[in-house]
Amino acid sequence: MAVYKRSYKVYDGPLTPTGSRFLVLSRYSAASLFESRYFTVFTVLCLVPALIGAATIYFVHSATTQLLLGMRLSSTDLINNVWFWGFLQSQVWLAFVMTVWAVPGMMTRDLANHALQLYLSRPLSRPEYLLGKVSAVVLLLSAITWIPGLLLFGLQAQLEGHGWGSEHLWLIGAIFIGCLLWVTVIALMAMALSVWVKWRIAASGLMFAVFFVLPGLGEAANAILHTQWGRLLSVPYVMTLIWTHLFRLPDRFIHGFNYAGVPLWSAWASVLSVCLICIMLLNQRLRAREVERG
Amino acid sequence: MSSVVALENLVVRLGNRTILDSLNGSLTGLCIGLLGPNGSGKSTLLNTLLGFYPPFGGTARIFGNDIRANIGRLRSMIGYMPESDAFIAEMTGIKFVRYMAEVSGLPAREAMERAHEAFFYVGLGEVRYRKVGTYSLGMKQLVKLAQALVHGPRLLLLDEPTNGLDPEARQRMLQLVHEIRDTRKVHIVISTHLLRDIEDCCDQVLILKNGRVAALCDLEEERKANRKFLELEINHGNGFVEAIGRLGCECASFAGGRLKIVLPENIAVRQLYQLAAEHTVQIRRMNYRRDSLEDIFLKAMEDKPEAREIASGSL
Repeated sequence: MAVYKRSYKVYDGPLTPTGSRFLVLSRYSAASLFESRYFTVFTVLCLVPALIGAATIYFVHSATTQLLLGMRLSSTDLINNVWFWGFLQSQVWLAFVMTVWAVPGMMTRDLANHALQLYLSRPLSRPEYLLGKVSAVVLLLSAITWIPGLLLFGLQAQLEGHGWGSEHLWLIGAIFIGCLLWVTVIALMAMALSVWVKWRIAASGLMFAVFFVLPGLGEAANAILHTQWGRLLSVPYVMTLIWTHLFRLPDRFIHGFNYAGVPLWSAWASVLSVCLICIMLLNQRLRAREVERG
Repeated sequence: MSSVVALENLVVRLGNRTILDSLNGSLTGLCIGLLGPNGSGKSTLLNTLLGFYPPFGGTARIFGNDIRANIGRLRSMIGYMPESDAFIAEMTGIKFVRYMAEVSGLPAREAMERAHEAFFYVGLGEVRYRKVGTYSLGMKQLVKLAQALVHGPRLLLLDEPTNGLDPEARQRMLQLVHEIRDTRKVHIVISTHLLRDIEDCCDQVLILKNGRVAALCDLEEERKANRKFLELEINHGNGFVEAIGRLGCECASFAGGRLKIVLPENIAVRQLYQLAAEHTVQIRRMNYRRDSLEDIFLKAMEDKPEAREIASGSL
């Protein structure tokens, strides 16, 4: 360090555009996650089902490979909306595990030692702070959910030909909306719970509780009150109900898994309510200074 | 002189409590001290200037910009060192400061360069690759100063910068504040309840009491005036104070029979002894001293009309 630089200087150099400054938070948040080699390995493992899916699509379209293995498969019977739904079921639960792993740590490290006030004393608003964090999570989860889903769709459409792609164009919307909805719900919920409890382990535990204990309470309410509305307390249930309609699954799926108990609109209303509650919680707790009311 | 911070009937309410009550004043100094007992509203004022608390009434202006309207723009001109711990424990010092510089809008390359400069400037150059969580309390204070300086702000808000520091670290911190002030490129507002910190560094002081302005005093003017005071301790007043006033001296009385007298050039100390004898008053102690910040502070805390007079420099 040159001696002449060891004095205070006002900065008068170039500045980055204010609109894209939240991306600094996304970049640093994502980079901090990949400092853990376990997380990096887990992220790579999350892409394994996509590779298996790609191999399956290739296999059902390759007559040579099928001949070598002595099998005969029809691509149109095997690779359809049910297949894509099944593929995304594995991906969304991997995304859930990734969220529980990544988000509480990402949020609580800013809150544990009151670093939030340092962000907010700079030209960065609370929505921008939140946007920076959310975009890091959404990008990460997108990379293991709808992006590989759409790539597999593209591969299937390319190999199948004969207008399969245009016939199943609606499937693009189903993959994209279905995954993005899931990603948004779990990201917002993980962030809100992390900001609320400010403790990584507790936030992770609460995520599991909301997803696996709350449905139990809902079922108990159903049994006592002889109703079906208790199922709306189960985020996995309402999400699957939405997916079954988005992916136009046959009736045997809807009735087989008992997804006919509550109407579709109530599932959307339930998801929307969860998102709103999370946003309210974030708005209330994500402040540079907390005010004791009195 | 144009004001750095102008307070215009500023009222801040948190919940049902009024924390800052109709603050008025123009802070123009290069280094401005915010003094007051615990709970007087010093930190709340800083937080309001940063836009953390919205004004309930009135407003404040920083370099002429209203905090209600231009807080985003203002924040890019401000460096803030909070009182409490504020860091990301898992990051190395240099990465943390660089990160803060980038959030302030510096491009990555410049942010890295400025982060190194800031670290050497505050004297933590050797430990910049250690995680912040492993730093000592003094180092954490310095790293907070480094992150406040890294983007080259025009106004530095320091909230209790010497809190919890040992004498050596405190001296180092005050020396840094001196150096930054002497560059004359940045204005500093220091909030503290330590009078000596303010007296060492500041040229203007705003004293708060119960959320109100108790005094606004230009220390630089006081120093320039270099007026000498006589501090007396007497057994009882007995008309002595009034007689001193008639003699042409400015006089202020305090509890315990303490008097402070400004002697004009043409009045000799012998005349005071004569007056005391005439009024059968015993002078038990007599000291020459300059008016210290402590005197100004104590007078402001007494909530007497004189406190207001101090603001206009009449005593």
